[in-house]
Amino acid sequence: MRSLRIFKQRLRSLLRHSSADAELEREIEIHLQQLTKEGVTSGMTRGEARAMALQEFGSVDRIKEMCRDTRGVSWAQDFLRDLRYGVRTLAASPAFALTAVMTLALGIGANTAIFSIVDAVLLRALPYRDPDQLVLMLNTPLNRPEELQGVSYRDFTEYRKQNRVFSEIAGNAFHDLTLTGAGEPAIVNTAAVTPEVFAVLQTKPLLGRTLQPQDGKPGATPVAVLRENLWRARFGADPRLIGQSINLDMRPFTVVGILPAGFQYPEGAPHPDAWISVMQDPLFGPLTSQPGVRLLGVLGRLKPEISIQQAQAEMSTLGARFAKEFPAEDAGLTIRVQPYRQAVVGNLEPSLFILLSAVGLLLLIVCANIANLLLSKATSRRKELALRIALGASRARIVRQLLTESVLLGLLGGVAGVLVALWAVSSLQPFLPSEVVQISSIHVGGPVLAFALLVSLIATLAFGLAPALLSTSANLQMDLREGGERTGHRGSRHARSFLAVAEISLAMVLLVAGGLLIRSFALVTSVNPGFDPTNIIQAEVSLPQFQYATPRQWLAFSKELLDRLHTQPGLQDSALAAPLPLDRQGQASLPFTIVGNPPLPPGKATSADYTTVSPNYFHVMRIPLLTGRLFSAQDSPSNPNVAIISETLRQRYFPNQNPIGKQMRFGLPPNGNVAREIVGVVGDIRDAALSQKPGAMMYVPFAQTPLYGGEIVVRSNSSQASVAAAIRQTVYSIDKNLPVTDVASFPDTLGRSVSRERFRTFLLGSFSAVALVLAAVGIFGVISYSAAQRTHEIGIRMALGAQRRDVLRLVLAQGAKLALFGLGIGTILALFLSQFIASLLFDISATDPLTFIAVAVILFAVAVIACYIPARRAVRVDPMIALRYQ
Amino acid sequence: MPKPSDLLQGTLDLLILKTIARKPLHGWGIAKRIQVLSGETLSVGQGSLYPALHRLENQGWICAEWEDSDLGRPAKVYTLTRQGRKQLEHELQSWNRLSSAVQLLIESA
Repeated sequence: MRSLRIFKQRLRSLLRHSSADAELEREIEIHLQQLTKEGVTSGMTRGEARAMALQEFGSVDRIKEMCRDTRGVSWAQDFLRDLRYGVRTLAASPAFALTAVMTLALGIGANTAIFSIVDAVLLRALPYRDPDQLVLMLNTPLNRPEELQGVSYRDFTEYRKQNRVFSEIAGNAFHDLTLTGAGEPAIVNTAAVTPEVFAVLQTKPLLGRTLQPQDGKPGATPVAVLRENLWRARFGADPRLIGQSINLDMRPFTVVGILPAGFQYPEGAPHPDAWISVMQDPLFGPLTSQPGVRLLGVLGRLKPEISIQQAQAEMSTLGARFAKEFPAEDAGLTIRVQPYRQAVVGNLEPSLFILLSAVGLLLLIVCANIANLLLSKATSRRKELALRIALGASRARIVRQLLTESVLLGLLGGVAGVLVALWAVSSLQPFLPSEVVQISSIHVGGPVLAFALLVSLIATLAFGLAPALLSTSANLQMDLREGGERTGHRGSRHARSFLAVAEISLAMVLLVAGGLLIRSFALVTSVNPGFDPTNIIQAEVSLPQFQYATPRQWLAFSKELLDRLHTQPGLQDSALAAPLPLDRQGQASLPFTIVGNPPLPPGKATSADYTTVSPNYFHVMRIPLLTGRLFSAQDSPSNPNVAIISETLRQRYFPNQNPIGKQMRFGLPPNGNVAREIVGVVGDIRDAALSQKPGAMMYVPFAQTPLYGGEIVVRSNSSQASVAAAIRQTVYSIDKNLPVTDVASFPDTLGRSVSRERFRTFLLGSFSAVALVLAAVGIFGVISYSAAQRTHEIGIRMALGAQRRDVLRLVLAQGAKLALFGLGIGTILALFLSQFIASLLFDISATDPLTFIAVAVILFAVAVIACYIPARRAVRVDPMIALRYQ
Repeated sequence: MPKPSDLLQGTLDLLILKTIARKPLHGWGIAKRIQVLSGETLSVGQGSLYPALHRLENQGWICAEWEDSDLGRPAKVYTLTRQGRKQLEHELQSWNRLSSAVQLLIESA
């Protein structure tokens, strides 16, 4: 009750400030009149009585001020007054205000932009009901826990029946199908699933229905659920599509429902536009009956009270049971349960953490810089502040006023920073690594704005508190006497030097990080991939499996295609392969055994990356032959199976032997046990990633191991567009229902494969450039301030015969000392902190001496140049003027 | 700015509370009453009464209304609240403790 009344009273006095003042006035006036009346009664004149009353009462203004102070809202009024005053102060020195706000905008903007990515990738909840209940399960060999494999359909059904920890589990697999009959043939990213997936994700359709249990039975009518964007783009959002039939891989599917475009499962990968039962899938359907083919990723929803550890324990038990029950397929396997979120974003976390730390450092530099600006500003305001203290303002009151001005700066900087972030987020979007964009949209929303506000306020405290405290701890008399302009207080001078040193050392850390990443990126992009990507254009052709059902048909098509390509002018230098190096879908790693070697102990398989190629491939890609021969037209199905291995495979598995003529057993299922004779050894290529060492590789001739499509590679001097058109024309001339997709120049593919490296290098590079500039500005400020203060001293020195050179050296030495100090601390910090980016570096150590030295030299040079400007100004001063400048 | 010592301030508060505990009074009346009660010896600087009144009002110990008064026009009249009454008792007790302690000290010195 009481506090409520007081609150109301304070509110009233705040809102009706003037009426409360009027009441006070009246109350005091009554008192004064009574006093005066008494005086008159005792015989004074009115004037005398009034004067006596005023004297007896005391200073009316002071009493009023004291009464106002008791109201307890004065801080709010003070704040408003300080704010008005702050606005006026800032407006009076626009150069300072602009510099400070722009610097802050850079710092806060960078932080906000990076945070918006963190928010989208790590913080925002995935768009499903109770997303924390979702888990992803994959098989993994007991002895190689980092290697993930799918789950076979048989095992999936057993897991589903036997587990007691999931409310539902579902299997899914993804690949491309060809949509025909609705305009130009198109590739549709398709999810082949068990129908439970919609129950697990708890997805509601936009129209119609999702898949239901009976759709997943063998022999059910083929049905499909489309996503809204495909429905709009291809079928004009016609609701009558429900119940109609569409052709996927030349097979009719009845459309039963439409999913909203916002349904983007699986996050972090291309989102499928069509959903069908895995039983109806032309590729996976037949494989569901093979318990050795592990084709499904398994998505599960935990029962509400079950933890992920309990689920893992249960699944491990089941996995061990299956390994005993089905030793032929499941021996040596277990199943790993991981939270779905972790599966999606797991590998992005360290990168983002590093970026966030880097912008944090940048913000620290920004704060140091502004603190420095504020300190020099406070010094020139010393006289004003000293006067106010002399007139009775308390120190706390002045600190509050200075902090209010800082808050004003911080908020202005925050607003400008949000604008910078908005701009940065929209202009960075195209450069974002693809997996980031696919997770969820990055935008500056509520949490991001809250973060920006928080950062602004923290920054305000960081840069405002020290100057406010330092500039009020002054010797009052000295300030008033000397005007405070020239002497400079030891406290604030030390603080300024400290800030300059801190800026340089923090800048050193950022520059080292940026420098290491830039060098590492230069190394990655200049690394020899083992083939020559220039002038190579790639395009994908995928054959619908109902029409092209047998390997014989695939082979016939590929022969026809290559024959026609080779007769086209400009396309002679062409070949077919699958997969290509740096393929987004990854490489196909297959186990192999060497014929004649003792059998490997169980669970200790050897594996290598598998690629099927047409004979011309090595020539087109300029992969050198080291020994033996390349494939030729003679390596056909009717002749013995052959293979070519890479140098790494030879070194690893045929040390000090001639592998030519030896045999290896490997192949895509169901041909896993086919013996192939090694006929040649070719140079290594970086097939998985430019930053990864070349893998062991096994090449087989396309004619002996055909696939239902492949990648066309053409080496041509013509433009990409004309080559792509020629390829399309050739493909259409064979079958007008075949789409040609994923046309790209190989250098672009290379660029895309390092997009993540490029992104973080670009960001950290920009951060360190900004840090360099800020550090330069910081030391410039300190030196020019101290040079200005020493004008008198310099004048005396020069009058006594000191040369300009000596004075120049004097001022520069001061700057150099600060810079060296900062570099020393920075080097120690960087040595410690650069360990955190060691995992992001390619072929370069986190303590690379060259980077450290180069950064130190650049930073030192920039610092000295920044000092040179005020030093020159100092020596140009006429000694007479300097001496008189008292 | 020099602040009145805590003792002085506390004493003034006590005097005010005690004065209006008898009957509600306006500022002028309180000043006069304190003057009369203390036999003119404890003369408060008249103006410094008002900050004390306003502080007590903000603390919720007294409340004020503009009422017709013996001055021939409306004046701001202060009344003790329930909390103010409790506070007065509390202050009186501690005043008694203090004064008897001081008394003891002086006698035994």
